[in-house]
Amino acid sequence: MKPATNPLDRRDAWLGVMLIAPSVLIFCAVIVYPLVSAIYLSLFSIYTPTLQGNFVGLSNYAELLAGGEFWHSLANTLIWTVCTLTLQVVLGIAAALMLHQAIIFRSLARSLILFPYFVSTVVAVLVWRWLFNDLYGILNHLMIWAGLLNMPLDWLGSMPNAMVSIVLVGAWKYFPFVVIAVLARLQTIPDNLYEAATIDGAGAWGRFWDVTLPQLKDVLLVVVLLRAIWDFKEFDLIYLMTGGGPLIATQTLPLMVYKEAFGMDAMGRATAVAVAMMFVMLVFMLLYLRQAKQDAAK
Amino acid sequence: MRRVLFNLMAWTIVLVTAFPLLWMVLTSIKPQFELFRMPPTFWPEQITFEHYARLLWETPFLTYMRNSLVLSFSTTVLVVAVATLGAHSLVRFRYPGRERLAQLVLFTYLLPSVVLILPLYLLMVWLGIANSLLSLVIAYTSFALPYALWLLRSFMQGIPDDLESAALVDGATRMEAFVDVILPQALPGIISTCLFTFILSWNEYLYALVLVNTDEARPLTTGVMSMLVSAFNIEWSLLMAASVMMSVPLIIIFAFLQKYLTRGFGAGGVKG
Repeated sequence: MKPATNPLDRRDAWLGVMLIAPSVLIFCAVIVYPLVSAIYLSLFSIYTPTLQGNFVGLSNYAELLAGGEFWHSLANTLIWTVCTLTLQVVLGIAAALMLHQAIIFRSLARSLILFPYFVSTVVAVLVWRWLFNDLYGILNHLMIWAGLLNMPLDWLGSMPNAMVSIVLVGAWKYFPFVVIAVLARLQTIPDNLYEAATIDGAGAWGRFWDVTLPQLKDVLLVVVLLRAIWDFKEFDLIYLMTGGGPLIATQTLPLMVYKEAFGMDAMGRATAVAVAMMFVMLVFMLLYLRQAKQDAAK
Repeated sequence: MRRVLFNLMAWTIVLVTAFPLLWMVLTSIKPQFELFRMPPTFWPEQITFEHYARLLWETPFLTYMRNSLVLSFSTTVLVVAVATLGAHSLVRFRYPGRERLAQLVLFTYLLPSVVLILPLYLLMVWLGIANSLLSLVIAYTSFALPYALWLLRSFMQGIPDDLESAALVDGATRMEAFVDVILPQALPGIISTCLFTFILSWNEYLYALVLVNTDEARPLTTGVMSMLVSAFNIEWSLLMAASVMMSVPLIIIFAFLQKYLTRGFGAGGVKG
């Protein structure tokens, strides 16, 4: 595997370039060009229906940073990301530990747990909006029946319920990602580590803290970074659950981009929000890239 | 005894997690009037498929379905073909800038689509292909190609170099060795990548929302949501039937091809 001893080296470099060329061309057309274009567009003021605009320099950014809505949306994005990510990780680890044990019909149980992750967000949202329905939703019925509520709760139309609801649905939809990653890692932890811990007198909790968690550390770091990035840019789930409402109480940055572009018809300002959002995300992305490089080096 | 209790608890948790999906199926086969009964019935007293019949014959659902199938298949074929060649090049060839390129792929795989979507929208308008399935296929490659490249690269790194070297010693050209040796070895990985790309395209919502606003070119995701918005009073049983139908390809993949899904996860999603 060492580059220097590989007989396939260098000889056919031109063929290699030919093989990667289609990918590179498509990359330039659908990623590099739009990316550069987005930064360029954010310097203009563009009216969406006519797509006419004029150069305004950095004033889009100045407006954003001076106005309250950007900061409010950024705060919402952070609240949503932190809360739903925490739930995903905790639930994911718990479910993975559970599915690692011998339970009956384990493979069926695994399939059922994984399904929410693969199902379309549209389907997930429709089902949850039906569950949350204030008049006929089963959730309100169950909770009244169990004595947890006196009267039906408005799950999506008022605060803080709306934020709690999307955080819950986000956790339900995405915790299987953590389950799969952790489960795969759990299967590679050598049994003798547990035996040694047991001999040393560690209980179930002790074994979890001293053996399992340290072994999971690396995979959890990668999972947390990836999910943080993906949760941060989540659009579908929030847009379809609450549309950012009530008013802008659950409006995150991706929703603000969409609203500026197609609700306010301010295409230039929308790209400015998108670019600003990308710079905030860049921190996570660079952290992840560094981690991936380290893992590859191992 | 503890085993039994543990099993009971574990399955309770599994069923709670799966409950929303079970409820979706149950709601879709209940007659309309049963939905609004107080207190609601759990199992349907009467099973009906009228909602499915209405969905198929009285709504544009089948058009959306066809669009989604065409769209997802085209994206998958295009992306996986291009990415297989590209990944092979990234793993088995050496040229300046190769490592940079691999890093760039990973970077774009994390890029938020809201940044790309507005310029892509302007591009489609300018090219005169907005509101078509073609525009969606092009837009979908922006997230599917980095993903497929990254996944296939991880798979192909697992194929030992010796196999190709041996074929070359036997007098095969690089392309012959690729077709005869690498492709068969990479097949499970290619299948995984196809499934993931298909699911990603099938579930995509944002691009479809921005780029297409006619029923002729609308895929299922935005199509079904437009049924929710346009209906005067929301018909939940109809929407639940639509949700079930929309999940059919996933159920098929889950039932028969699940090992490819978990394998793909190990390669791309987690190891980075």
